[in-house]
Amino acid sequence: MGRQQKLSFAMLFCILISVLAFIKTDEFTVPKNWPAPAYNFKNNPLNAAGIALGRQLFYDPLLSKDNSISCASCHLQYTAFTHVDHALSHGINDSIGTRNAPALMNLAWQSHFMWDGAINHLDVQALAPISHPSEMGETLNNVLEKLRTKQKYRTLFFKAYHDSSITGEQTLKAISQFMLTLVSANAKYDSVQRQQSHFTAQEKRGYQLFKTFCNTCHTEPIFSTYEFANIGLPVSKTLNDSGRLRITQKANDAFKFKIPSLRNVEFSYPYMHDGRFKKLSDVLNHYTTGVQHTETLAPQLEKPIILSSNEKVDLIAFLMTLTDKHYLFNPQFGYPK
Amino acid sequence: MARYLHIVAILFFSLSLTAQNKGGLKLHFVHPTGDGKMLQLDSGFVFNQKDSMVIHSLRYYISDIKLFQNNLEVYSENGYHLIDLSDASSLNIALELIKGIQFDEISFNLGIDSATNTAGALGGALDPSKGMYWSWQSGYINLKLEGKCNVCPQFGHQFQYHLGGYLYPNLAIQNIRLKVNRKLGSELNIAFDLEQWLLQLPFSVQQHIMSPSKNAVQISNAAAKAFKVWDANKN
Ligand code: HEC
Ligand code: HEC
Repeated sequence: MGRQQKLSFAMLFCILISVLAFIKTDEFTVPKNWPAPAYNFKNNPLNAAGIALGRQLFYDPLLSKDNSISCASCHLQYTAFTHVDHALSHGINDSIGTRNAPALMNLAWQSHFMWDGAINHLDVQALAPISHPSEMGETLNNVLEKLRTKQKYRTLFFKAYHDSSITGEQTLKAISQFMLTLVSANAKYDSVQRQQSHFTAQEKRGYQLFKTFCNTCHTEPIFSTYEFANIGLPVSKTLNDSGRLRITQKANDAFKFKIPSLRNVEFSYPYMHDGRFKKLSDVLNHYTTGVQHTETLAPQLEKPIILSSNEKVDLIAFLMTLTDKHYLFNPQFGYPK
Repeated sequence: MARYLHIVAILFFSLSLTAQNKGGLKLHFVHPTGDGKMLQLDSGFVFNQKDSMVIHSLRYYISDIKLFQNNLEVYSENGYHLIDLSDASSLNIALELIKGIQFDEISFNLGIDSATNTAGALGGALDPSKGMYWSWQSGYINLKLEGKCNVCPQFGHQFQYHLGGYLYPNLAIQNIRLKVNRKLGSELNIAFDLEQWLLQLPFSVQQHIMSPSKNAVQISNAAAKAFKVWDANKN
């Protein structure tokens, strides 16, 4: 091999290495036996610098008009990133009234966001709270202006993108990067699946009931299909929230809401899109005796679900096995130091 | 290794392409309001013979530009362009054509296709910070018109039309295909005839359209019909 040839091979090799370094997404691991994520990581490959930038942004009140509210104000880590004790976080859109902040986790597997699926991609989710007048009341453009004045952000953007121009695309993708890392897959349930621990007899009975009555919608291992369903909740006269219908304008989507994952459900109270139930027992009472029969009611709920009070206790015991302490207390998800 | 060789091949190929003879075509967008006048933002004009109108903002997306000769596609570009009346340079779109290419029709979309609407955060003309992206319900605004008109009853006679929607049945994107009758030149003027379009807007009954709807589709369709090849001398 001539010297020049060697040199050009060496150069080619260097280019290859840098290309490979760029497309690696080691930062994201799909848990064993989970389906493939819906998020297209090719368009936004995770890397440590991007995640760090996104985490700063998530916790920074600079994203709101008066610099008082951050994403974390409504999405707290220790409550699975929901709004503690607030049935109704300030709504996203005036016309739909108010909704309960959902738990943020396993977002990479979702392709529609919000209870009605109004948001069609994780990257554009942050626009909704940033620009809503009763939430953060800011425009993305102003946020970018503010970020550009901060040396800290110019440095963080440069680290993440080798460019410190700070565009909307970069900002939104960084917030996505952080949110994509919020994976919860390490509850007792998971360790039982990995045969590292065992259900108690009660949890086992609860699991059987779950598989019989709940699993078609809250499907393992993510505990949701992320489809939309009407579970027959009485429609609140004041909110009159028609759910998915508002987006698709199809009559058969009336009162359908996105099926929430039940992971960490122990901590994500209050429950339902409007936070109407405080306790899991209230939720079960709805499924057994509260279901209203309307035209779009889910077929699974046409026939009444019958659960004795002991069975309800068993089912709740199973739901507790979905609590993932590793996720709730993971220091990497917390306020950035 | 073989995998990466084709990257190198593509690089060479694109280099050799740029070395080819290039001709240019400049599309220039104009916005006549009647009486041979062109739109000036923030300055009043008479429309419908008697009504007074001020337009503060007019912005729209042009995408997927194609040229045809005898119904055969001879050129296509998959760019997205934001025409913004407050930025004179945005009124021109330069196309790089192979020299000597003939065409008798041009086609483009007014708005953004559905796939791009669901592709997450994008850059350039599509960056959500451009103010052409809805926030509380995902999707691009294809066309934005804001201003004041004396026939608008409320809110200081203001109107705001944000037209978009990428889901059937409220799909607002419009394809426009125009015959081009010209000897080969380097510039093509395309008019968005506001005199014609403004007559179709519901100023007295609906001053705000801010989400996908049947009306948004109708008005987008009327806008598409108001695009024409413009001969500066004749019109
Ligand atoms: C004032 C409270 C509030 C703030 C601030 C807020 N959110 Fe939310 N968030 C909500 C509510 C309420 C919903 C559900 C709204 C709905 O479904 O209509 C939600 C929904 C979401 C969802 C969708 C989750 C799902 O499963 O569908 C994501 C993701 C999210 N927020 C991320 C963010 C980010 C990122 C920020 C900061 C840029 C932020 N939120 C700021 C209240 C808030
Ligand atoms: C037909 C599909 C379907 C079935 C079957 C179903 N659910 Fe649900 N579940 C939903 C939907 C949709 C929601 C959200 C409804 C809303 O907010 O309007 C929900 C909400 C919940 C919530 C509230 C979660 C939160 O974070 O707010 C819990 C808890 C729950 N379901 C438990 C169960 C249990 C336990 C069963 C079995 C007894 C069950 N579900 C059966 C679709 C279903």
